Amino acid sequence: MRIMDSPAATARPRAARPADRPTSSHRRGGAGGGAQRARAAAARLLWTLVTGAFLVFFALPVVWLLLAPTKTDGQIIRDDPFSFGSLDGVVTAWRNLYSFQDGVIVSWLENSAIYAFGALLITLVTSIPAGYGLALTRFAGRRLLLTVTLLVMIMPNVALVLPLYLEMEAVGLTGTIWSVILPFSFFPFGVYLTYIYFSSTIPQDLLSAARLDGCSEWRVFTSIALPLSRPIVALVAFFNFVGNWNNFFLPFVMLPDSAQYPAQVGLNNLLTSSAVFNTSSGVGNQIMRPELALATLVTVVPVLLVFLFSQRSLVSGMLAGATKN
Amino acid sequence: MTAPATLAPGRRSGARGAGDPSRRMGYVFVSGYVVLLLAFGVLPTVYAVWLSISNSRGQLVGLGNFIRTFADYRFLSAFGHVLLYLVIWLGTLMVLVVGLALMLHGRMRRTSAVMRFLYYVPGALAGVASVLLWLIMLDPAASPAGWLLRAFGWETLAQVIAPDHLPVLFTVIAFWTGAGGWIVIMYAALNNIPDEVLEAARIDGAGVVQTALRIQLPLLRKWIAYMLILAFAAGTQLFVEPQLVSTVSWGMISDSWSPNQLSYLYAFQAGDFHGAAALAVNLMVVGLACALVVVFRAGLFERD
Amino acid sequence: MRTNDFPWPRRAASAAVIACSLLAAAACGSADPGPGAAEPSTAAAFSPAPQQAGGEILVWADATRVPAVEQYQKAHPDVKIKIVTYSGNANGANDLQTKVQLFDRTGNGWPDVAFSTTFGDVAWASRNGAQGKQPYAAPVNRGVIEQSVLDGFAKGALDPCTVDGDVYCVRNDLAQNVLWYNKKLMDDFGYEVPTTWEEYQALGEKVAKEHPGYLVGTAGDPWAPEVYFWASQCPASTLTAPRKVTVDLGSDKCTRMAGLLDTLIAAGSISKDSVFGAGFIKEKADKVLMLPGPSWYGQVLFASTFKTPKNQIAAAVPLKFSADPTNYTGNVGGGVWFISSHSKNLKAAADLVTWVTTSNDYQATAGTYPAFKQAATAWLAGQKETGYFAEDVAPAFTEAAGLVWPGWSATQYSQEAIYASTVVPALNEGKTIASMLETWETAIKNKASSLGYTVDSP
Repeated sequence: MRIMDSPAATARPRAARPADRPTSSHRRGGAGGGAQRARAAAARLLWTLVTGAFLVFFALPVVWLLLAPTKTDGQIIRDDPFSFGSLDGVVTAWRNLYSFQDGVIVSWLENSAIYAFGALLITLVTSIPAGYGLALTRFAGRRLLLTVTLLVMIMPNVALVLPLYLEMEAVGLTGTIWSVILPFSFFPFGVYLTYIYFSSTIPQDLLSAARLDGCSEWRVFTSIALPLSRPIVALVAFFNFVGNWNNFFLPFVMLPDSAQYPAQVGLNNLLTSSAVFNTSSGVGNQIMRPELALATLVTVVPVLLVFLFSQRSLVSGMLAGATKN
Repeated sequence: MTAPATLAPGRRSGARGAGDPSRRMGYVFVSGYVVLLLAFGVLPTVYAVWLSISNSRGQLVGLGNFIRTFADYRFLSAFGHVLLYLVIWLGTLMVLVVGLALMLHGRMRRTSAVMRFLYYVPGALAGVASVLLWLIMLDPAASPAGWLLRAFGWETLAQVIAPDHLPVLFTVIAFWTGAGGWIVIMYAALNNIPDEVLEAARIDGAGVVQTALRIQLPLLRKWIAYMLILAFAAGTQLFVEPQLVSTVSWGMISDSWSPNQLSYLYAFQAGDFHGAAALAVNLMVVGLACALVVVFRAGLFERD
Repeated sequence: MRTNDFPWPRRAASAAVIACSLLAAAACGSADPGPGAAEPSTAAAFSPAPQQAGGEILVWADATRVPAVEQYQKAHPDVKIKIVTYSGNANGANDLQTKVQLFDRTGNGWPDVAFSTTFGDVAWASRNGAQGKQPYAAPVNRGVIEQSVLDGFAKGALDPCTVDGDVYCVRNDLAQNVLWYNKKLMDDFGYEVPTTWEEYQALGEKVAKEHPGYLVGTAGDPWAPEVYFWASQCPASTLTAPRKVTVDLGSDKCTRMAGLLDTLIAAGSISKDSVFGAGFIKEKADKVLMLPGPSWYGQVLFASTFKTPKNQIAAAVPLKFSADPTNYTGNVGGGVWFISSHSKNLKAAADLVTWVTTSNDYQATAGTYPAFKQAATAWLAGQKETGYFAEDVAPAFTEAAGLVWPGWSATQYSQEAIYASTVVPALNEGKTIASMLETWETAIKNKASSLGYTVDSP
């Protein structure tokens, strides 16, 4: 993982590298002897136990989910939860899943990608400068803007569905991809993240110095803030992408045509048509637990890829020199 | 108190008047966002507030819808449920997220990157995607965690999701999906603290715990405040988890367990958007009140 | 310094106080719950939209019924159809209602034809929509579908669709309850299939003693009220007018069934689980001796879910209380088709709905028991051909189809959801159904009045 190459880590004095040095007290103590070493070992054990326990908590259900498509429906229920079925099982499950409405799952993924990436682009273009402006420039209404942002973040979504729908209808956008992309692009969460990041990362005096040097406000933003913004761009991009990818209700309400459905709405259709949940689905239904598990896995892969991708920038760009001066 | 010193230059620039470039550029920077905010945040919210104080014939009814929803037989139980859930949820989230982020940041950074990824993975399994998982997970007979559920003395799905267990159960589900994301944010925030500061603390003889309490936590103040506000708002708007458990248990949980579910029922089962909006405004007011307390205590709107 | 720096919250607070007091004073309308409540609930005369012959029709169906529509399209290539797949309102969803509410507000977007897996939808679809829009569902008996077609449905099949004498939907399938039993096990144990509830209870107690672990029924399914209490003619919700309902769980018709279930639950031969729970499938599925339940249990539950081998499962006619003159049964689900009253091509919509509900081309091979009599005969012949059942299910199914007790009305609220969230958790805490009847009744009444019903207690 790239994180080890990050400037933050390399800037550290060699001796302070924590990877093989369990605690600072150990190093600091020097001649401290056995008691300190025992404490260090205990600390290491505690660390391993706690993080390990949470690892089990977070990962175990996922391991189960990964194994589920290898089995048959009967095996999922009757066999040991962590048994492995066969690779043929995955092939069968995929064939059944793909035969659901002639491979509609592929078009769900395509639609999701269009909505999520489209919105992501607009989000980044609007929220990064906005967060910067709120953090580091002064203008009348700054506090009002922060408060209003907070307010709309807190408003329950259920109440906003009808107004949004009527609004989209009024401008003739219902049924188009914009009825989903535009509301997705409004991402107050990201503006706040950027605001907090810039306000706690870039010291005011750095900007004042740049201004004194005669830099225009725009230059200050592009030459000081933007180079430093890589981690926050990664963070905002990631959370925006995931939020939109997983959003069910808005596309469900806005899109009139099942050909436009994104993965979440599609999955819901898949789920309700399966005999596992829909008792009236009748016979000959191929969608059972293994197929549902596989569909779930297929739809979360993009999210995990984006996570891995953004985790690289998340840490590597942090503190690229700014606060060091 | 460093506030006066850092505020001083800003004050002066604020006094420079409308021709000030910083001020003008401020508007340029936020302009794109403000357009979206007005269109998809403010306008719908204002409309929702209007719905909450009017009736289906468009007449102003004052607080009538609010009074009507207060009297609903489900109102008290729904708000009671969510209050209990909030206490458990916020406590768990704050302590564990900050604690885990500090631990992951403290040592073995190579391992911790992998850990952070694995902690996050459930975050991708939100809503519909996790229905199947919980269907199996909560049934002791087939669950990978069946031994644990049985250790509590629960032999059937119905015993696992008994009414008293629900706030804790929803916390577990919400924590499983949501904590990883917050840990990533907190970790990124911890990375923000210059190494020199931590190094200096170490040289001064501060242990790991003291460094965390005296240096790292105060510097994370804004991030924690932010998390608190959002977690509180998300908690009051609890919807997905009860819906999820209800789906996997064929309806063993009331469809109005949380106020947000009740609001949904008002809007889409009873066709009463006004009552639904009134309930939503209640939640917003509660959320906002708590948010403002946090904002001003943590100085979220101030610049460091 | 701090307080000086933040002058506005205080200002905002006082502004809010003023606003609130103004609001309280300014109330000029009444805060009634919604569109329907203040207006007469009976439907206004049905006035179709201006018709466009040959116009495209929009059809919403669940993934299971989409093939039926596609089959119709293939047989009628000149009809323009646009198909949208949606959840079909399965498993408690109310997607159709949610969307129709929004369409009512904008005045367009309604599907010309919509399938729903639950006839509870009739309750809202037959009422005026938001802002005084006419009911979403067209009364099909008013010149939309010919009476001769409607007469071909099984007796009582269209009852749930009928409000004030008008038929607002067309029934796709029936889900009449029968007594399922495992013929092989019954023969092995030397038991006779009961014909009355009294015999059923006696056999249940006998099974509990002689073959502990074996089951004669389940009470943990959400649809348990529709299996047991409906058959017992318990007035859980009887409509006396379109928005007027009588709820009386204290009636002896209800207590007799509660007593029967409580006895067998205590004996251990009726399970508190749901038949679809993973635990039940894993541990109890092969111990099911008898199971009162809907006609779709045969293929969906025994064949697909339990994977019970061929030649074991059979169905008997619904049980009777010996004190009653006839036996009655209930019904668990059964989908319906709606035709939109806003449709611009009622003719095409009606033709499609008629075809999918009555044509042997689709219904004879459908997953569930057709509501149309002629199609049902063909369907039953098909079931026999599968060779799955130990005995022909046709006699039991056909008889049960005509025995559904009419006093259990289709309401906008779901009896299943109420039972599952109030009674089932209590059962699992060790309480009896008899002790929960009062709580259960209150839950039904509360839910009914929250949806604008007038609730009567006899």
